[in-house]
Amino acid sequence: MKNTKYFLFGLSALCICMIGLTTIDGSFLNPVRDAVGYVLVPIQKGVNAVGGALYNEVAEFGMLKEALADNERLKAQIDELVEENTRLRAETFELERLRELYELDKQYMQYNKIGARIIAKDTGNWFSVFRIDKGSDDGIKKDMNVIADGGLVGIVTDVGINYATVRSIIDDSSQVSAMAQQSGDTCMVLGDLKLFKEGRLALSYMEKDDDIKDGDMIVTSNISGKFLPGILIGYATEVAVDYEDNLTKTGYVIPAAQFDRLQEVLVITDLKDAGPELYE
Amino acid sequence: MNRLLKNIAVNLLLILLAFTVQTCVFPLFPFLSAYPNLLLILIFSFGFIRGSQAGMIYGLLAGLLMDLSSGGPMGFYTLFFIWMGYANGICTRYYYEDYITLPLTLSAVNELAYNLYIYLFSFLFRGRLHFIYYLVNIILPETVFTVVTTLLVYRLFLAISRRLVELQKRREKTIV
Repeated sequence: MKNTKYFLFGLSALCICMIGLTTIDGSFLNPVRDAVGYVLVPIQKGVNAVGGALYNEVAEFGMLKEALADNERLKAQIDELVEENTRLRAETFELERLRELYELDKQYMQYNKIGARIIAKDTGNWFSVFRIDKGSDDGIKKDMNVIADGGLVGIVTDVGINYATVRSIIDDSSQVSAMAQQSGDTCMVLGDLKLFKEGRLALSYMEKDDDIKDGDMIVTSNISGKFLPGILIGYATEVAVDYEDNLTKTGYVIPAAQFDRLQEVLVITDLKDAGPELYE
Repeated sequence: MNRLLKNIAVNLLLILLAFTVQTCVFPLFPFLSAYPNLLLILIFSFGFIRGSQAGMIYGLLAGLLMDLSSGGPMGFYTLFFIWMGYANGICTRYYYEDYITLPLTLSAVNELAYNLYIYLFSFLFRGRLHFIYYLVNIILPETVFTVVTTLLVYRLFLAISRRLVELQKRREKTIV
């Protein structure tokens, strides 16, 4: 019994030391993490595949009714879209001409991507962190951007040989440097557990005179250190001047990606090259 | 020796299973607003049924698994879980078989303590002060789910634990 007590205090001291050490630099643990990944990832993949298949089977029945109603609605929408498509096609030619003029065509949406499947989520309800089934063997590196549904999902924070951990932008500690697409004024998109329960992200660090309005497309900014420029994050809403200081504006962002039903994501394998670090 | 190995294997398997169900199966149900914490139930039930030492070892294994797969600072979960296993082991003197009220109370207390620990060190540290909000929206739902799940799985864990003890006893007899 006494031994147990010594053991307990010894382990606690060890844990506290490790917390301190790994907060500074956790990379020396990578071999251990990889070893755990080798055992865990195949199990998680299997369980996920089986569970997902079963769940989809059940869900499909429920969705059939919905699908029939949707079908009607979508048929009407197709007509609308065909018309719109013709109009847009005409505009595309114009756009291409203009792009060539500005030599901008290489900059946006030409990133290389690889698909990955989400195999596990965090154990509790506090964090929005998930694990995907691709790792360093598939070319995933730390700080790669992750997208789905055409919108930004998160960033790779930790890479093992056969898995990678992604922190989503809705996580409470997430901060993304962003800008309004059409005005180019910069802002920050902050994850907040409280707001996400309402389906929103916080939008802040805007000056009073910045041209960011409700409904504006918010994309990742050119000056971000880790996020590639021009990836859609979501749409601004309820932007208002803070009446406390009357200098700044805050608002909310409705994210473009559907976080509650994410199954597959795309990892952009291009890394942001922010250039050499600045030394003073 | 063979039985001892079997004993260890079964325990490891249980931890892995609880972890996998928690990370892979529960998130598949989007209508669940919170997930029960199976690992926590596993640790405190085994601590409660079999004493401080067993509880601590269980906490150590489960904590290491969580720390190594979460990518956060190493030891954060381990530290809490070894203390939880140990503390629940102290209550083992009040343990009667087939007595469910105390395990349920323990489950709620452990769950609250665990969530407070996370809140304190990962949220309050960063200046998130709306404790009442987190209490109502995250901590309480998870606690309720966990207590209900305890009601369902505690007897299962009890049965497994009894089988394991029987195995061990048989082993001791053969040595004598």
